[in-house]
Amino acid sequence: MTVLEAKHIEKHFGSVRVLEDISFSLEEGQVLAIIGSSGSGKTTLLRCLNFLETPDKGTITVKDELLFDAADPATQRESEIRRKRLHFGLVFQDFNLFPQYTALQNVTLARELMAKTEKTGESLEDIRAEGIELLTMMGLKDRMSNYPHQLSGGQKQRVAIARALAMKPSILCFDEPTSALDPELTGEVLKVIRSLADQDRTMIIVTHEMEFARDVADKVMFMDGGVVVEEGPPSEVFGNPKHPRTRQFLDKFSG
Amino acid sequence: MLWNVTTTLLGGLATTVEIFFLTLLFALPLGLIIAFGTMTKFTPIRWLCNALVWVVRGTPLMLQLIGFFYIPGILGLHIWPGGDPGRMMATVVAFSLNYACYFSVIYRGGIQGVPIGQREAGEVLGMTKSQIFFKITLMQMIKRIVPPMSNEIITLVKDTSLARIIAVYELTFTGFSFMKSAGLVWPLFYTGVFYLLFVGILTIFFNYLERKLDYFR
Repeated sequence: MTVLEAKHIEKHFGSVRVLEDISFSLEEGQVLAIIGSSGSGKTTLLRCLNFLETPDKGTITVKDELLFDAADPATQRESEIRRKRLHFGLVFQDFNLFPQYTALQNVTLARELMAKTEKTGESLEDIRAEGIELLTMMGLKDRMSNYPHQLSGGQKQRVAIARALAMKPSILCFDEPTSALDPELTGEVLKVIRSLADQDRTMIIVTHEMEFARDVADKVMFMDGGVVVEEGPPSEVFGNPKHPRTRQFLDKFSG
Repeated sequence: MLWNVTTTLLGGLATTVEIFFLTLLFALPLGLIIAFGTMTKFTPIRWLCNALVWVVRGTPLMLQLIGFFYIPGILGLHIWPGGDPGRMMATVVAFSLNYACYFSVIYRGGIQGVPIGQREAGEVLGMTKSQIFFKITLMQMIKRIVPPMSNEIITLVKDTSLARIIAVYELTFTGFSFMKSAGLVWPLFYTGVFYLLFVGILTIFFNYLERKLDYFR
């Protein structure tokens, strides 16, 4: 089943075209890795999917529901965007944990607020129990009452992953989740993402970790200058890149 | 004699404390509203709020006090009740507006100092704008603004002495009155002790608040 379908996404910042005619789709349980050099538009694409940027052209469809159509202002109403963006979860490069809340409160805050405003009928105990479960899954059982500044980068990022998962998104997006971490801490975060892939979560991962992308992704997209240069299964994109620009980029990693 | 002066000055201190707390009561929330006004995308409101801050910060508080107290009467609008209550009301209105404008700039700095990623994290988690402000931004803003706010609030303690210009019997005016009535100069300087004690208590409070907010970074 197709979970996500993005068509002809285009985005300008002033006169600079950051994304040009991006189309792709994602099946349930698939992992898409987006690779490419800095400034290629990867992050902007993720931000468009999460409604942090508004594309100038194109449509975004999730599970047959048209979430966004640049040509139809009715799909861009503030009140509905809040509901629509919950289809996506986003893990930021620099974590963006809320410093005044403990790890557990970071995970449960949005759900608790949701329960209050939308009257979902969820009890605070249930939300809390689920938060504890998520943090345990992240290997942070003994860190739940710590504040972000008391955690290492890797631990912070795992809290951020738990926080995104707490909202039960259909598609979990990662924006260079290990770029702010030193190599030692990168491993523990990648391990968690890998285990999520093993649980057949639908994910989009923007990353510079080529080996990881090759391992974990079902589909790889190489972006350059705001366009998708090459797209396919990792064995092809990494093993047998067709486009010279892809080869040039990958050569830099294989050294 | 010292006892007599002290009890009289305590009466003046009560008025000073009253001006102080009433001003904070109104200026703290009003400042936040003005801060939002100066940050809104809606241009007319933004200009209006910026103009207000400009005028209020650009003219002496003493002039504003005199203006608020006398101008309505000159225009034939008798909005203040007669006697001391009217003087007190005009004082609190002038002080509240003046301090709200100064606070608004501090608030704005505090809000803009919170990294944009905090708001975005709230947004992608489906929070509303007001939830993001009250549950995420506000606390981080408060932590940032405690030092500049403590400065401003301590200045307010001493600015209350300006109210004597429209004959409000606050601490300084009370101390002054001994000069006219009894030819005594020292009560005026004695008021300094009261101000020092007041500010001392505030300083302890702000230090406590800073320590309280030390649990996060």
